[in-house]
Amino acid sequence: MTRQAVLDATKDVKGSLTHVEAAFTKLAARPPDLWGFSLTGVFTRYLDQGSKQVTWLHGALGGATTLTEAASEVGDTDMELGLLRMTGPKLQAAQFGTLLLATWVDFLHLADAILRNCPMCSVEKLFADLYRVRGLMEPTLTGLASLDPEQVEAATTAMPEMMGKLTREFDTLQRETRETLKFGGQVIAAMQAVEMVAMISTMKMAMPRVPPSTPMTLGVGLVMSSGGVMVGSRMVVSAEWVEMMRRLVQAGVISVPAVGAAVLIQGGQATMAQAHQDLPQGVRDALGDSPEVRGMQVTGRAGAGMSDAPKHHVLPQEHREWFEQRGFKGDMDIDQFCVQMERAHHEAIHGGGNWKLGRTWPGEWNRMIMDALRKAETKAGRLLTRNEVLDIVADRMKDYRILMNFTPGRRQ
Amino acid sequence: MSGGDAWRGNIKARLYERVRARGFDSLTAFADARPAVPLYVLADELGDDDIAAVQVLSGLLAEAEQSKWVTRFVRDVLVRLLSQSLPSGWPAVLDDANRFKVAKALGSWFAYTPETHKERVDRAGDVLLSSPPPPGWFPRGPDDALLRMLLPDEEA
Repeated sequence: MTRQAVLDATKDVKGSLTHVEAAFTKLAARPPDLWGFSLTGVFTRYLDQGSKQVTWLHGALGGATTLTEAASEVGDTDMELGLLRMTGPKLQAAQFGTLLLATWVDFLHLADAILRNCPMCSVEKLFADLYRVRGLMEPTLTGLASLDPEQVEAATTAMPEMMGKLTREFDTLQRETRETLKFGGQVIAAMQAVEMVAMISTMKMAMPRVPPSTPMTLGVGLVMSSGGVMVGSRMVVSAEWVEMMRRLVQAGVISVPAVGAAVLIQGGQATMAQAHQDLPQGVRDALGDSPEVRGMQVTGRAGAGMSDAPKHHVLPQEHREWFEQRGFKGDMDIDQFCVQMERAHHEAIHGGGNWKLGRTWPGEWNRMIMDALRKAETKAGRLLTRNEVLDIVADRMKDYRILMNFTPGRRQ
Repeated sequence: MSGGDAWRGNIKARLYERVRARGFDSLTAFADARPAVPLYVLADELGDDDIAAVQVLSGLLAEAEQSKWVTRFVRDVLVRLLSQSLPSGWPAVLDDANRFKVAKALGSWFAYTPETHKERVDRAGDVLLSSPPPPGWFPRGPDDALLRMLLPDEEA
C-alpha cells in the first residue's frame, strides 16, 4: 500500500518534470524572429539555469526509485517502511522543485513573448527582472536540491509564500508590458501574445488569480468533496491524489505541512501561509492529519525536538568498504542509514552508561553488529546480499529499540 | 516515542520492578516461564517501549554469572534466536534461503555470546551445519537434549 503510493507519487512528479523539460527544449530551440529577438544571447544563462535543475531533479527521482525497489526486496516490514520513508525528502524536493521549475519556464515564456512582441520594452529591464526572480527562487531551490530532510522541509513550508511572491512578480511584469504596449499604441496582436502566455502558463493551475498583497484568510473556499478538494466549482486536487497523499502521510513518508503546502499552492492560496495549520478541517481530515500522525512526523523525520539530536551511523563507518562490497553504494550507501539519537541513548548502545548487568558481554553496537554480520557470512559460506544485511540489522535494531527512522548523515 | 525511552532513567531498577510486578523474583525465572520465545517478545512483555531486548539479555547473563549457569544461558539465547529466525523449526532442505536463516541465527548468537563462550559457540555453530539436526527440530528450551550435547555444561 505504502509502496504503491510512493510509486504513484514518483510517477506523478516524473510526468510533470517531463512536461517542464519539453517546454525548456522548445524554448531553447525557438528560432529568433525577424528582428533577431530570442531567448538566446544574454538570456542563455537563464535557460542553462533550468537544465542544471533538471539534473538534480532526475537524480532525486532516481534515488527514490532505487529505495522503493530495495524496499520491495527486504523481508522485514519495519525495514521496508524505513526504506520507503527515506524516499520522502527526495520525493518532496522533486515535487516542489518541479513546481518551481515550471514557474521559471513561465517566466521564460513571458520573457520570450516580450522580446518578440514589445520592441519598446527594455531588454535590460527584462534581464534585471528575471535576475531578481531567479534570486527569489535560488535559496529555495538550493534547499530542495540539498535533499537534506531538514532543509527540504524548511524550503517546502516556505513554498506557498514563495509562490505568492512569484505570482505577484509575474503579474507585475505582465502589467508593465501591457502598459508599455498601450503607450506605444501597439497592435492588438502583440497584446494578445503577451496575454497568451498567462493562458498557457504551466503555473496557471497554481495561480488562478493573483493573490492580494495583504494577507487574506487562508484556506477560505477550500472544501473537501467526494471528488477531491474544490475551490468554488474548480477542482484543486483529485480525491485519488488526496488518498495517495494520505497514505504517504500516515506512513511517515511525507509530512502534513508538505502536503498542505501543495494543496494551498494548487488552490491559489499562496501567501504568508503556515501550511497545514491553515487548511480547513475537512481537508486535513482527508489527508489523515491527526495528533498521532503529527507526533510520528516529529519523531519520524525532520521534526521538532529530535532535529537537534546528533545523527549516528547504524552501519559502522570504519567498515564502509565492507558494506560497499555488499551493495551499499549511491542512494543506498551507509551515510543514508543514520538515526538521530539523544546523547545518553547513543552512549548506552556504544557501551556506556550502567545498563549492562552482565560483565562478560560488552553489548557495544558497532562490535556486536559486525560480529553478527561477519559470522552470519562465514556460516552462510558466501557473501551476504544487501537485503540480507538489512534483514539482520533490522532484527538487531529491534533488540536495541532503535527505530528505523533513517536520515542521511555526514561522512566522516 | 523516539525509541529512546528504553535508555532513559534507571534501567536496572525498571527491569526488576517489571519482573517483580509479574510475580517473579528473577529475570531467569521470568524467562524460563516463557521458553523459546524471541528476546524482543520478552522485552515487549516487560515494557512496550521502555525495555530493550539487549537489556533483558544482559540481565539474564548477570544472573547466570552469579549462579555459574552461563553455558545454560548461552544455549537459551540460541533457542530464542532460532525461534525468531526459523519459527517452523529446522528446515528440511538447507537451500540457499534456509541456509541464510540458519546463518543469521548463528551469527547473532555469536554476537550475543559473552567473551568466555564465543569460541565454543562458533564451533557449535559449525557442528550444527555439518551434521544438521532432523527436519523440524525446534528446541523448546536450554535443556534440549541435542543442545546439551552440542554445548554441554562445564560449570557443573
